Amino acid sequence: MKNMKKFISLGLVLVMMATMLTACGSKSGSDSNSGSGGSGKLTVAIWDNSQQAGLQEIMNDFTAETGIKTELQVITWDQYWTLLEAGASGGDMPDVFWMHSNEAVRYMSNGILLDLTDKISASEKLEMDKFPADIKEMYEWDGKVYAVPKDVDTIAMWYNKTMFDEAGIPYPDGSWTWDEFYEIAQKLTKEDGSQYGFACNPSNEQDTWMNIVYSMGGTILKDDNTSGFDDPNTIKAMEFLDKCIKNVMPDANTMSETGTDVLFQSGRVAMISQGSWMVAGFKANDYLVENCDVARLPKDATTGQSVSLYNGLGWAASATTSMPEEAFQLIEWFGTKEMQTKQAELGVTMAAYDGVSDAWIKNTDVFNLQPYLDTMDNIVFRPHTNATLSWWNPMVEELKKPWNNEESMADACANITKQMNDTIAQEAN
Amino acid sequence: MAKPKKGTSQERNEFIWGWAFILPTMIGLIILNIYPIFKTIYESFFKTGDFGRGNVFIGFQNYITMFKDAEIWQAVINTFKYAIVEVPFSIAISLVLAVLLNRKMFGRSAYRTIFFLPMVAAPAAIAMVWRWLFNAEFGLLNHIFGTSIKWVSDPKIAVFSIAVIGIWSIIGYNMVLFISGLQEIPGDYYEAASIDGATGIKQFFHITIPLLSPTIFFVTITRVIGGLQVFDLIFMVMDRNNPALYKTQSLVYLFYQNSFVENNKGYGSTIVVLLLAIIMIITVFQMIAQKKWVHYN
Repeated sequence: MKNMKKFISLGLVLVMMATMLTACGSKSGSDSNSGSGGSGKLTVAIWDNSQQAGLQEIMNDFTAETGIKTELQVITWDQYWTLLEAGASGGDMPDVFWMHSNEAVRYMSNGILLDLTDKISASEKLEMDKFPADIKEMYEWDGKVYAVPKDVDTIAMWYNKTMFDEAGIPYPDGSWTWDEFYEIAQKLTKEDGSQYGFACNPSNEQDTWMNIVYSMGGTILKDDNTSGFDDPNTIKAMEFLDKCIKNVMPDANTMSETGTDVLFQSGRVAMISQGSWMVAGFKANDYLVENCDVARLPKDATTGQSVSLYNGLGWAASATTSMPEEAFQLIEWFGTKEMQTKQAELGVTMAAYDGVSDAWIKNTDVFNLQPYLDTMDNIVFRPHTNATLSWWNPMVEELKKPWNNEESMADACANITKQMNDTIAQEAN
Repeated sequence: MAKPKKGTSQERNEFIWGWAFILPTMIGLIILNIYPIFKTIYESFFKTGDFGRGNVFIGFQNYITMFKDAEIWQAVINTFKYAIVEVPFSIAISLVLAVLLNRKMFGRSAYRTIFFLPMVAAPAAIAMVWRWLFNAEFGLLNHIFGTSIKWVSDPKIAVFSIAVIGIWSIIGYNMVLFISGLQEIPGDYYEAASIDGATGIKQFFHITIPLLSPTIFFVTITRVIGGLQVFDLIFMVMDRNNPALYKTQSLVYLFYQNSFVENNKGYGSTIVVLLLAIIMIITVFQMIAQKKWVHYN
């Protein structure tokens, strides 16, 4: 039985090691948290790495002005929401953080966010009327305000100048139609698979395919909060997309494994549609700086419209923060005209504050960013309901099937319609 | 056997110290393992509200949904496929390595260290490196072999590609356990066997394997459990758009998706209870089967 005993003791040692490791983990975790409350340091959480440097500079100014210390944490998009959810369910939350239209209602309606209504109306620095109404309303619930708009983002088409030159195609000037776009993409697709005209994953919703839907007169969500995937124009746009998938894009395996932006950066794809939030990262990429530029999204020949989706993040604070006054001071600071301008000048993102985004256009001379601003004359707010994610994720999931030729696009649209309507109906209960 | 009515002071002392020594482990187990197990089972009967508030009791509804959910059964198949490849291969390879590295040879510690290294690296980092090795467009594997195999996005082979990463990262750990087991086997047996004319291979099957069977059993039990709980490799390697995801995602992956991405903790808990049941049944069968092949001296 000697060996049996050894087996048991080995097992016990393993369990003990695991316990110790987890204990160590949680200990260091609580240390950093107590640091945030105890020493009067505001913790700020964001998910975009490429905005870190610029925001840090704005926060340094804040510390210099008010003497309130801050600490900026960057967490990847997926983990950001897991962390925030865990914090809201009874752990420690960061004091100040970004809010997104996907999740805002859930956080506001459950009282997770600090009510800023009175503080905003008492503020002398904030000019809320300078922010876009859609974004302000997004962060209001039950007559109360929970976040101050941080930025706006729009969509434009990135193209590889070198590939256009090689094929003898003039650069797009923004007056093109989706049909012309398709012809160009076809010309830029090489038979041997070394180069494709366009790339888009099912999850490139806001930055790619949803824009085609709205340009062609379709919609994702109808005014009565039912699915827009049975709208003939939506179906028309999705069929157009299907044609692109089959003829001018790399296969779905390649796009999912490598990512459309990486394919574009490595010269395998001639055009991708991307949001203004990517510019900060793109301008640090030598290949893109040398070869690429930006054009406005194509128009639809029938409607004559070139529509860009837009969205805006908000600065929110935790309802359980130990320093609500200081947290609001920081949010207020981010929302002032000076700091909104600075955010644009530093090239962090476009500003939510009306009229200061010209500074963002000038933040770099390696790309022509004007199309991102031009498109502001025809924009649609990113579709959302009270529980956006509950139908959004299954929608993306369903679209993987036509992408992989497992289902026709028409069937996918029918399935999404049913699924969306069921989910949104449940939301109301 | 007559029980002493009242223990001597020494017995009492041993009793107290005995408990004092296992107390840290007990507390850890209760807080981190046992309490969460019951909490999870409890939550699987609820439709959980946002942020853990407003839970509604719905009886077996989650279970009914789960048994009708094709995605879950596909995940069960995926999980088994993974475990069936990972466990035998990782054990066989590491057993052979352990036997080879148990001999006196030049650079033995260096080899042992090299094989153990994957165990020291963070699983997330390992997965990131393999993701690029496997990449169909720019990956090193396709580059070397001159192929264009879609290692991690072809639904037919993706789960096995993931299992390869699993095997690679666990070999060193299994090997160390086997080496410690091998050192327990007295040299006399081998000596006697070679005098009788047994070859190295015969010795391996008739001496090494039977005498090492308790260690092999322990490794098998822990690896089957570990294999069925695979998550991080799939999470790191497979993108949300990956066409092979449906045929690759494991039960724990689905649990993570439901609990933390879709915020449906009740349903996520139900999936984990299913996994718990599967693991328990398999482990019970292994415990019964061990009587047939495990030799404790």
